[in-house]
Amino acid sequence: MIFTREPKSPGFASFRTRLLLAIMLVVSAVSTAGLLFAQHYVAASVKRDFQREFQGELAALHAARDVRHAALAQRCRALARRPRIHAALEDGALDLLYPSARDELFDVMEGGGPSRETGTYALHARFYRFLDGKGRVISPPNANDVGELGPGEESQLNLGALPDSPQTGYIARAEAAAGETVDEVIAMPIISTENGEIISAIVLGFKAPELGAGIKSGIWLNGHLDLPALPAAARGGLAGEAARAIAAANRTEGGYEVQAGGAPYLLFCKRLNPGSLFPPAYEVSIYPLADSLARQRLLVWQFAGAGALLLLGALAASHFVSARLSKPVEKLAVDSEENRAQRYRAEAALESTSRELQRSARFSADASHQLKTPVTVLRAGLEELLAGQYLSAEAREEVAALVHQTFRLAGVIEDLLLLSRMDAGRLQIQFSRLNLTPLIEAWLDDLGALPDALGLKVDSSYPPALWIDGEKRYATLILQNLLENARKYNRVGGRIRIAARAEGGWAILCIGNTGDWVAPGAQEHIFERFHRGSVGENVPGHGIGLNLARELARLHGGDVRLARSDGEWTEFEVRFRLAQDPGEAPGTP
Amino acid sequence: MTALGLHRIAALFAVLAMAPAALAQAAAEGRVELARPLHTPVMNKRYGIVAYAGVLSPFPPVAVVYLEGSFPRPAAPATAQMVQKDLMFLPWLLAVQVGTRVEFPNLDDTYHNIFSYSPAKRFDLGRYRSDERPIPSQLFDVPGLVTLRCDIHEHMRALILVLDTPHFAVSDAQGRYRLDGLPAGRYVLKAWLDSKTTLERPVLLQSGATLHADFP
Repeated sequence: MIFTREPKSPGFASFRTRLLLAIMLVVSAVSTAGLLFAQHYVAASVKRDFQREFQGELAALHAARDVRHAALAQRCRALARRPRIHAALEDGALDLLYPSARDELFDVMEGGGPSRETGTYALHARFYRFLDGKGRVISPPNANDVGELGPGEESQLNLGALPDSPQTGYIARAEAAAGETVDEVIAMPIISTENGEIISAIVLGFKAPELGAGIKSGIWLNGHLDLPALPAAARGGLAGEAARAIAAANRTEGGYEVQAGGAPYLLFCKRLNPGSLFPPAYEVSIYPLADSLARQRLLVWQFAGAGALLLLGALAASHFVSARLSKPVEKLAVDSEENRAQRYRAEAALESTSRELQRSARFSADASHQLKTPVTVLRAGLEELLAGQYLSAEAREEVAALVHQTFRLAGVIEDLLLLSRMDAGRLQIQFSRLNLTPLIEAWLDDLGALPDALGLKVDSSYPPALWIDGEKRYATLILQNLLENARKYNRVGGRIRIAARAEGGWAILCIGNTGDWVAPGAQEHIFERFHRGSVGENVPGHGIGLNLARELARLHGGDVRLARSDGEWTEFEVRFRLAQDPGEAPGTP
Repeated sequence: MTALGLHRIAALFAVLAMAPAALAQAAAEGRVELARPLHTPVMNKRYGIVAYAGVLSPFPPVAVVYLEGSFPRPAAPATAQMVQKDLMFLPWLLAVQVGTRVEFPNLDDTYHNIFSYSPAKRFDLGRYRSDERPIPSQLFDVPGLVTLRCDIHEHMRALILVLDTPHFAVSDAQGRYRLDGLPAGRYVLKAWLDSKTTLERPVLLQSGATLHADFP
């Protein structure tokens, strides 16, 4: 399975989408809940403010009305104490009652004087009457002076008995022009100064109070609603609503939302004359809710718009955030996939390399072992032939050459065996102190024993003892390989130079020879196994000598390198770790 | 005091006027049982006439004792005075014979407005002060009890008992009275106690004798 770096793969895309969806879901839920809550809260507070405003306005108007009512009551109370009225009642002068009252009420009655007020809250009375001992109206001698009342209107003033406290009442007045209106009356008991008993009551009628402009208010009396501010059609419906509200609540005050004439109103009912002997009257105040509802609708739209914008913003933000958040995760995923793939590849390669290596090492070892035996047998057979008497001198020479070839073959096999052991890591150098000088001298000795076809000249300069750390067998092999090369790749009448010295902890051995130079392009390959360069086929060799020498030198902690190769001179440099000279070492024999 | 003095002078006038008609004069004296006052009169009085249970009575209680009968009216109208001082009427109980003109001088620094709605006499003197001249007055020509009020000071109250007789006297605080210069003969002696109570008893007056008559 091959993993490649592909950020748009379905897995990552779905991760990002899921992340985006989750964030959107959370943001949407939270913002929707918040907006809903805020909308409800604001709507409720708007409504509450409206109601509060209404109630505040109403309370202010009620306070003003109460002040007026108190003033009227005070006026009535003062009237009820007037000596002339008492005199008329107590001294048996009922015929003087209304005239006396007319004089007393001269400034109170409407139209009574030039300084009459026209304000809503004027204290002018519209009519007045006295009640007799049974609570019935004492007929006035002249209706013009006391304010005209129809028989039906006057009968509304009759109380079953004289009140012992001031009574507030409302009577319906049938005025043809303005429709039905309601007048407020105050009945004030008149207490005799002679016997402390209630002997009469004065009843003053006033124009019913009107509330302010914003609030439409009327008076509900005996099932009729007097609310001139509303059209008649709406008034009818509202009267029913008010009657229901009054009947259902059965209390003196309350607020309801009602529909009148297709428009919503806030309706408040308040008993105007609690505990009065007069029929109960209710003040019905309505406040148009249309503005409030319009504002609430506007509020809903505003919130919806704000919510949409917010969600849009949240969408963009969450898209951005999810992209940002998923990026490192995606990178991590890609990297981990890549790492895994690389590891798989490396492991596979390692395994295969290891297997190859093992196989090749085993093959080399097996091959070497398998080859050594036949070579030995071959050489033994050839040497037996040479020792025999059956061969001609010519054939003997051929067989001698074959014997020589078996030695070469054995050498190659040895080298291969050695390489395979090194490759398998099974070659261990048994370090000991080793003098390099005898090894050089031994080789020089061997060189002298070999037939010299090229007529080589050997220069050598080396100290009498050069101690290194190493194993004699392999150090010899290194030297033999390099010196053999110097001999093999030489030219006729050429020269070999061997120089050894100790320098800076190293034993450096330089082996140079004349002959064809190693081309610069090939110089880097000469230490590779089985590389023989452009050497002619007439030069014996199998291409593993330099490689073997370098590997072995490196196992010794040293190295083999090509020091120079130009013109006719090629020089290799071998270095070993310098060991302590035993002659210099104290305590050693 | 002064009022009572005037009272007596008025009675004396009446007796003198009758003197030629009767050769011998009788007298009556006695004691009227007065109602026990509800409380001791206070120093700074504001009420000379008190109302209780619809009954107007002088306070402290006194009685007006008069001889009922058919007596000639005086030729010239008599004059009496009821002043207003310290927001009170003085005297707060005045007995006059029919045809007496009563003057109402205002001795206070404030306005007063005396009026009466009583059937015996309805009048309204209007508002006036002490410098009002002539002194506002009213002629009382119908017998009966007249309740006087002030339109400005609702507590002020006075009674004028208009009698169709020249023989009357106001008792002292103990109820003692004395009527002099009475004609001999059979009469009814009456004692007015309050607006609702008048006691009476028939008497036989003899010339030169003093009849002792107590009520009740």
